[in-house]
Amino acid sequence: MTAPALALAGVGVDRAEVQIIHDVSLDAAPGAVTVILGANGAGKTTLMDGIAGLAPLRSGTIRLDGKPIEKLAPYKRAWAGLGYVEQARTTFRTLTVEQNLLVSQSGDGDLGTVYRLFPELEKRRGLQAGHLSGGEQQMLVLGRALVSAPKVVLIDEMSLGLAPLVVRRLMGTVGELAGMGIAVVLIEQFANLALDIGTHAHVLRKGRVVFSGPCEELRGDEQRLHRLYFGGPPLSAAKTDAGAAESELE
Amino acid sequence: MVNSVIAGLSSGGAYALLGLCVVLTYRLVAVVNFAMTAVGAMGAFVMVSLTDRGVNVWLALLIGAATAALLSGVFGAALVRWFAGHRERTKAAVTVALYVALTAIGVRLFGGNSTGAHRFPNPFGDPVVTVGSVVVPQSVPVAIGFALLITVAVGLLLTRTRLGLKLQALSERPGTAEVVGIPAPRLAVGVWAGVGAITMLVVVLVAPRLGGDFGTLSGLISTALAVAMVGAFRSLPLTLLGGLILGCLEGLSSSMDSIQKYQGVVPFLVILVLLWWRSRREVWDTAHSR
Repeated sequence: MTAPALALAGVGVDRAEVQIIHDVSLDAAPGAVTVILGANGAGKTTLMDGIAGLAPLRSGTIRLDGKPIEKLAPYKRAWAGLGYVEQARTTFRTLTVEQNLLVSQSGDGDLGTVYRLFPELEKRRGLQAGHLSGGEQQMLVLGRALVSAPKVVLIDEMSLGLAPLVVRRLMGTVGELAGMGIAVVLIEQFANLALDIGTHAHVLRKGRVVFSGPCEELRGDEQRLHRLYFGGPPLSAAKTDAGAAESELE
Repeated sequence: MVNSVIAGLSSGGAYALLGLCVVLTYRLVAVVNFAMTAVGAMGAFVMVSLTDRGVNVWLALLIGAATAALLSGVFGAALVRWFAGHRERTKAAVTVALYVALTAIGVRLFGGNSTGAHRFPNPFGDPVVTVGSVVVPQSVPVAIGFALLITVAVGLLLTRTRLGLKLQALSERPGTAEVVGIPAPRLAVGVWAGVGAITMLVVVLVAPRLGGDFGTLSGLISTALAVAMVGAFRSLPLTLLGGLILGCLEGLSSSMDSIQKYQGVVPFLVILVLLWWRSRREVWDTAHSR
């Protein structure tokens, strides 16, 4: 079995001194897409911020390539190989496309790879990022994570406000990132799109993991997803796969 | 009168530099630094205390600049460490407290305007050119040249170097800058230290003209803020222009006996006029409900 690139054990994360995430343990394998699902307010973004160092950890450990990173500053986590694509297309708007890439480029990062994945960015390399379309800005943010030569990339709701065609294109790119051996952790509002490219899924409800298992168990099962998101009657033991750990909180 | 305006230009160049330091601190680390000139004055007085004891002036200048850089860097590190997530107004309030504390300590250590005026070296006091009755002292081209040099150098640093791009990214999105691997705390402390050193040099430049007491030099922050407001805390060229205009206004006011004693009010008048001008189209409910 491949050692996980990212391993969380008993992680609790605070937001404004209130504990939002409770006792989350999960692994992300290199070359695979790990999907995190949940309703609005379940704590998905807080979990990502906790991993990246933007929200304070209350408990637990985070290991990147076997080394603990939970005490490192966010920039040191990035140096250790953690890329983070935040929600809401966080480009540096006054910098050009190329400058956005240059500020996060590490020694091994290659702008050519980004331009190969997103040729439209190469055409607009001298344009200020604030003048790009929404889809192009999201491409740029993905590209910016890629030039830091990451081992793990966290992607938070990259489809927000984008046309379905653009979302499908970006999902394809996420698959390509995994194909390069990067461990991708993906939060996505379009659950089925994410489950299509994912290998393993975790569902969060009220800051706790209520499901961990292979993506195919949830793919197309809207009712089960709904129950996992919002609670409801417990599932019959027969429907629960032996490899999946599932618990109902209420 | 023309002589006074020309003489005001040398202060204007220095004011422009102080304004640039305020703008840079605000743009790059999002802090309105009220303690800036008090830190510069502290470094300047360390220097003059050393020269009074016979230390070589250049060595004393270096030690003074290093002291100001260190002090400013320590303040920057404290703000990064304990106030990073706080609002701009909270951080500004912290620097006001530092200004008050530093001024009190400075006056105690180096004396007030009646007891502690020091004699700062004035290497640029000689006239460089005299046209008719108009005398242009060396300090005018030196101050304006220094201001232009710093403006151009900072502009080039921000746009042409990897470090400058990182500083711009940091000023735009501090959180995102950190997660893409930009060492925000280190860069912020570097900005604070650099601004401290430059402020000290500017204070040394204007001290012979303004009088060498700690309170007056520390109080230059009001002038620096007025100049920064001309550039709307953003534009480097407008800040440069604002400094020169303020220097000329000050020179002009010093040449008129009837208003000379109100010379110190000039920066506050500029701030007042700019606040009125910038807010003239604001609707109260909209502007103040944010």
